[in-house]
Amino acid sequence: MRSSINRPPTPDANEEPEKEPTLQEIINIKLIESGEKEKLMELLRERLIECGWRDEMKAICRAYARKKGRNNVTVDDLVHVVTPKGRASVPDSVKAELLQRIRSFLTSAAI
Amino acid sequence: MSASDDGNSSPRSQFASHCFEDLLDSIIVDVASECHRIARLGLDRNLEEEEEELRLSVQARVADPSSSSEVNSKNVVDVFGQTHPAIAAEILKCMNCRQPVVAGRFAPHLEKCMGKGRKARKVTRSTVARSSHPRGSPISVYAPYSNATSTNRAPNGTSGRAGEEYADYTYGEQ
Repeated sequence: MRSSINRPPTPDANEEPEKEPTLQEIINIKLIESGEKEKLMELLRERLIECGWRDEMKAICRAYARKKGRNNVTVDDLVHVVTPKGRASVPDSVKAELLQRIRSFLTSAAI
Repeated sequence: MSASDDGNSSPRSQFASHCFEDLLDSIIVDVASECHRIARLGLDRNLEEEEEELRLSVQARVADPSSSSEVNSKNVVDVFGQTHPAIAAEILKCMNCRQPVVAGRFAPHLEKCMGKGRKARKVTRSTVARSSHPRGSPISVYAPYSNATSTNRAPNGTSGRAGEEYADYTYGEQ
């Protein structure tokens, strides 16, 4: 019987070589397990609220919703609208502070 | 992987940046989600038609100067649809100094007229019943109505014709 179906064999979970967790993943897990990630998130949130970044983003969303009709917006839309501007407009000081905290965590986790 | 801490290109810095971006993305999704909720639930009163309506009604009212509501909180329309100017315009006569006074400026006028010169107070002290407030109201200065207890002996606060009692008025007989 000709194997007319030319499809690769179904990958078998057991057979496929498991990717070793990358260092990044390991670090990420450490970050989460130690609770540091949550703290960093809170810190970042607080800083972004203080500096008005959050209000800016909300204004952008509001303008977009008004233009598009408030019942026609999806979360996806808003994420796509906000992400480029959002990433670009984080104040340098905030970014520096967070990076510093992350780095010191890495140091303390001896990585 | 070396853990050297050089500049921006070390793996550690890379990871730090990556981690930061992760956090930022999460927060962006948070904000987007909240705004989405606000938009869909109509919690933001200024979206769309409502905003247009509001704007139009505000414009309409601004065009009519006698009745503007939210825009100018001083000229509020009351429940009967009347408006009152911010500063009351009636002209009264001050009971203390007998000058014509604009109602809206009455209080500051009083401050000057009654507070100035202890004289003002001294003159009226004998006529004003010992009341608790040092500045009596002009009414108490003018008419001894409230002084019934000290100067007159009329049982109610009837007219203060000093000393005269209307017997038939009060006793009802005779």
